[in-house]
Order: sequence, then structure tokens, then C-alpha cells
Amino acid sequence: MSPPPSPPLFAGVSRRLRQMRVMTAKELRQIARDRALLLFIIYSFTLHMFVAAGSEASDLRDARFLVRDLDRSPASRELISRFLPPQYLPAGEVASGEEALDRLDRGKAVMLLEIPEGFSRTLDEGAQPATVQLLVDTSSANTGYLASAYSARIAARYGAERAQANLSRGGAAHETLPRIESRDRVWFNPTLDEKWFATISELLTMITVACILLPAAALVREKERGTIEQLLVSPLTPFQVMFPKVLAMIVVTLLGTVVAFLGILRPVFGVPVRGSLLLFFGVTALYAFTNAGLGLLAATFTKRTAQVGMLMLLAVMPIIMLSGIRAPLESMPSWLRTAIWFSPLRHFLEVGYGILLRGAGVSVLWDSILVMAGLGAVLFLAGLYRFRRQLA
Amino acid sequence: MNLRRVLAVAWKEAREIWRDRLYFGLAFALPVILMIVYCYGLVQDVENAPFAILDHDRSTLSRDYAHRFLDSRYFDFQGYVEDSREAERLLVDARVRMVLVVPPGFERDLREGRPVAVQTIFDGTFTTPIRTLRGYVESIHASLGASLRADWLARNRGLSPERAAVLLQPVRVETRYLYNREVRTLWAIAPTMIMFILMMTSPLLTALSIVREKETGAIYNIYSATITRAEYLLGKLLPNAAVSFLNILVLFVLATSWFGAPFDGSFGLFAGASVGFVLSTSCLGLLVSLLARSQQAALMISVIAGVVVALNFSGMTTPPQAMPPGLYAVAHLFPALAYRNVVLGTFLKGLDLRILWQDAAYFFAYAAAAFALCTGLFRKRTAA
Repeated sequence: MSPPPSPPLFAGVSRRLRQMRVMTAKELRQIARDRALLLFIIYSFTLHMFVAAGSEASDLRDARFLVRDLDRSPASRELISRFLPPQYLPAGEVASGEEALDRLDRGKAVMLLEIPEGFSRTLDEGAQPATVQLLVDTSSANTGYLASAYSARIAARYGAERAQANLSRGGAAHETLPRIESRDRVWFNPTLDEKWFATISELLTMITVACILLPAAALVREKERGTIEQLLVSPLTPFQVMFPKVLAMIVVTLLGTVVAFLGILRPVFGVPVRGSLLLFFGVTALYAFTNAGLGLLAATFTKRTAQVGMLMLLAVMPIIMLSGIRAPLESMPSWLRTAIWFSPLRHFLEVGYGILLRGAGVSVLWDSILVMAGLGAVLFLAGLYRFRRQLA
Repeated sequence: MNLRRVLAVAWKEAREIWRDRLYFGLAFALPVILMIVYCYGLVQDVENAPFAILDHDRSTLSRDYAHRFLDSRYFDFQGYVEDSREAERLLVDARVRMVLVVPPGFERDLREGRPVAVQTIFDGTFTTPIRTLRGYVESIHASLGASLRADWLARNRGLSPERAAVLLQPVRVETRYLYNREVRTLWAIAPTMIMFILMMTSPLLTALSIVREKETGAIYNIYSATITRAEYLLGKLLPNAAVSFLNILVLFVLATSWFGAPFDGSFGLFAGASVGFVLSTSCLGLLVSLLARSQQAALMISVIAGVVVALNFSGMTTPPQAMPPGLYAVAHLFPALAYRNVVLGTFLKGLDLRILWQDAAYFFAYAAAAFALCTGLFRKRTAA
């Protein structure tokens, strides 16, 4: 009692689909069997989020500063007392400039605040500005910039208060002065919680690394071990060999993303979802496809896993570092910005942050999604073309 | 330890590296390309931040105010917006990083000596540049406010403008920048990148060279040979460490000549510490090769571990003094932190052995300990 024969075309399609399902299961099993690899994937999507959240600090924190107070007046002490935690941490007084330099050399402090003799007198006379000197370690440019900017602000505020006192003493107590006040409002992340940005960007980074490296390595390993010949004599088309590798990766990535997001980012770090979560996971799948295409294309250029490693570093690291996570795009030279347009991560960032934090929908993000889909299709087809030619 | 056997393995390894031309080329080209891409791309100076203005006042003074931002290289003007709905659309679509809202009566209030509040709406998604941008906005407000106040006092009290300025801001800060006088991010980034790039490539080279033999089965020859574990591992380690050391020299030339980073310290100290560093990172590669069974796994582990360590535990993103104590302790388990000290110390700070000896000694102690650990863990038989 066999089922009635289906039309040949349909039979072909369903057989192909079944073959692809088997191949996808094979790829998944291969990933699951490599214990070190599996552990690393699990780490990337779980524990690593905590590492990322703990280490990201772009604001000035605990900047140790030395003091050399040559004035020793109430005014100088008042100014020094305004350098407070969490930005600043006093690292003690120094007696001489050499001592200060030595401590700065050893990295025990990042700043020296020097108040010259006569500071208080000059301030009282009011004929000339009273000067304080700042020596800032700028070997880490960002810390150096922030340390000096905050210091300037503290000194300015102190000066403004003295000025106000002087003016009202001069009989102008109720006189107001023109002033421009800065009222800031930060949208999408009102408390400037750095963990939101840090954990999301780290998740996107991990997705990128896994999606490019794993399919590439999987394909090259088949070449290296010669199992590709077995696949060739099987009734599978090149598409059926390649696409399951992509599918397997999409499954692993989506699983990891769902776990990382629903299990860690949202409950632990309070990362909000202002847009549609379903759309986010959908776009993540599309992104996994785009990246896997890139990985497979690169794999067709190499013969050994070691070479894939090098080629991947060449493509993956710039993608991660330059797509807008580490440094804002607009501050890069324009030739570089043009090159980065071809990085799928650049568009995924816009979509990811757009959906999660800015609450944007398809009506705003359609252009980025379209570019990602286009890049993915081109990369995958190019890889398929090269793979097919290599087999012939 | 038989030196001849070590050299035999090392010689075979060197020939293998040399023979695979693509791999050999990549081992040298990769660090250079990464260096160029990062140094151009990672400059974190916030510049050309796109912004828009919502001007409710449309007066001469509000246009003057706008020009202070238009003329600044830190900002990139995207145009005026008509209403708050349009401002919101630009922010949601990430077309601008901030919108300045000039209130009605801006000119009138300021001319009559009253304070006004200008609201700045920031896109808080990307937190890092916001603080810097906020500082820029505040300083433009402060300087425009100061000149308006000086005018006001000069007009209403008959003071000279200089006298009015001192009266208004009696404290002046003179800042001198140490080590990196021009506060050029590139000068700090170029040397740091030597550490960053080598943290990735150096363990990878060693790890792959051992795991490849595991995969092809060539390692069975070693298992059955009289060569000891330490001899084999050392023979594997030396040529790969040498490649990494050559890479450092190339990157050094690139950093100083192409990117113009100043090198004030002793080259001997830099080179000596670098030898210790590449031995340490190569030992990390040995450690990875013990964990990984496939080249695929070795690749994943060394790339991700390298990036994680270099980014989080080196002091590059978080300065060591700002690290939480736990993180600070963990950071000492990797050579990245000490090498960043050495690199910045010799490049920018011009330090000598008097201050850097601890870091330099650390590498050799680290390499010895890690090598002993790997030798202890390496088994000359197949996993059951």
C-alpha cells in the first residue's frame, strides 16, 4: 500500500527539502559534538554579557589626583575640596614637582592640581584672574580630556560663585545677569545607563563573530578532510550543501540571541524593548544569513582552516571595530565611512538599536533592512557561484 | 631538555610556516592592515556630530547663537526643524545625535539681562559621545554667556571689558598636558594597537600550528617519538613567537613613521619587553591548543579570547584605576595590561627600566609559568 505518486516536480521539491533538513541536522550535530566550541558559544551568549556590562565605563571615574597647595588658604582648600568622587579621588599631597612627576610616571595618579602662592590674595584683589595649574596625563586621551574638562568646570563654577559674592557685595544683590542655562534631556536612555549600550553591542558583536566564523570554518573543514568529495558524489546540489550551513547558523544564533536577551539583557540589565521583539528576532535571523554568506564566500578563497582564521580576522575585526560600536561613524575619514557602508553590522546596529531603544518600526527602518537583505543575497550568491566553479 | 630536538621541531615548524605562502603572507600582512584600519577608525575624538536646531525665536541673536555651533568642527549642522514632531522623527531615525531647542523670547530676555534656558535633546543610545557633546554644548553656552555678561556689565556699570571679565570669572585654569602634549588620540591609539593586534594574532599562530597536527594526525609521530613534551612545545613555540616579534617590529615602524607617534623611551627596553610579551602570548596559544580539538574551535577561542582580553583587561577601554577590584585582579592574569604599560611607557612617557622593570620581568615569569602549566597538561596520548 504505497501512497499515490505525487507529480514529479513536487516530489523533487519535497525530496530536496528533506535532504536540506537532514543536512541542517548534520551541521547542528557537528556543532554540538565539538565540546570546546559549544562551551564557547554558550559563554559568548551568557557569561560574556556580564563581562561586557562590568567593564564598560566611558565617564570619568576615580581619577586619582595629586595636590600641591602652595597657598594654604581657606580659598585654596575650598577649591580642592570640590574635586569629589565619583569623578575624582584624592591621591595625597606632594611636596615637589619632581615627586608629582614620579607618581604620574608610575601611573599612581592621572592629574596634578597645583595652586600657586598668592592665589587667595589675587582672588581678593580682583584686578587679575587668579591662576591654578593643572598637569594632566593624556597617555589615555579620553581620560585626559575628561579629567581636564571636569576640572575646568569645577574651577569655573567656583569662580562664578566668588564673582556672584563680589557683585552682591558691590551693592548689586538683586541685579540679574544674562545667562544661558543648559537644560539637557536624554532620550531613549534618560539615565545614560551605559550597560544598555554595552550589552546590546556586545551581543551584536558575538552574533557577528559566530555567524561569520562558524560556517566558513565548517565549509573549509569539509574541504580539508576531503568529506566534500563524499558530498559531491551524493545527489546534493551545491546549494543544498551550502545553504544548510547557513540555516544551522541561523538556528544557533537565534537560540543564543533569545536566551541572551530574554534571560539576561532584559531581566538583569533592564534593557528596554520599545519596538517589536518579533521584528528584532526576525532581523537577527536576516543578519545571521548575511554574515553566513560573507563567511562562506571567504571560505571559497581558502584551503585550510588556518587561512580562514587569518582572512576572517581581516574581515571580522574591522567590521566589529569600525561599524559604529566603538567610535562614532561621523568622526571617521570619509573614505573609511564609504567602505563601512558595506559592513552588514553597520546596518544591523541601526536596526537593532532602532527597534530596542528608539522604538522604531519598519516604516523608519526599511532602508537598512533592505540593504542588509541585498548584501546577504549578493554575498551568498557570489559564494555559491565560486563554490560551484571550484567543484566543476 | 635536548636542544637539538627542540631545534629540529622549530626548524620543521619554520619551514611549514614559510611553505604555505598564503598563510605566511597573511601572518605578516594582517597585523599591518589591522593597524592601518584601526588607527584611522578608532580615533574617538567626537567630531562632526550631526545636529538640528528648533528655533522658536528666529531673532538676530538666536542666529548668532546657531552660528557658534555651525562654525565648530565638533558639530555638523543638518538644518533647522519646524516643530518638535520633525525633531523627534530625526532622532528616531538616527539622522541627528542632538537637537537644540531655542525658546521664544531668547533675544529679548538676554538683552534685558535675564537668564534663558536652552534645551538640548540628545539621542542617548550611544552613551559614550554624549558626555563629550554635552561638555561642548555647555562650553559654547558658557562662553556666549560670558561675553554677553561682560557686555552687560560694561554697559551698565561703565567698566572696561577686561575688568568686567575678571570680575565675572576670577579663577583661570592653566592646563598642561603631560606625555601627549597635543592630546591627539592617534598618538595614544597607535602604540596601544600594537598590544591589541598581537593579543589576537600571536596566540592564534601557536594554537593553530598544534591543533593542525592534531587534526591531520601528524601529532601521532610526536606521541610515539622519544621527544619530550617540553621539547615539542618549545619547538612549536619559538618560530611562532619569532613571527610575532617581527610583527611587532613592523608595527613599531608603522606607528612611529606613518602615524607619527612619538617614541621617547629606550628601544632596547621596548624590544626586550616585547620578546617577553610574545613568549607569554604564544604560551596562551599553547593553552588554547590544549583545549581545542579542531582548528575551528582553536580559531574561535583564540580570536574571541584575544579580543575580550585586549578590550576589557588591558586598560584600553577602562583605565586600570577605574576598574572594579575584581576585574583589576583578573586583568593581571593576562599579559595585556603590563604590555600596555610598557608600550605607553616607552612611547609616550619616555620611561626607563627604573619604573618599568616590574612589567618587563612579569612577562618572563608569566611565560615560564604558563609554559610549565601547558607542559603539565599536555598528554602524549590520544584522549580516551
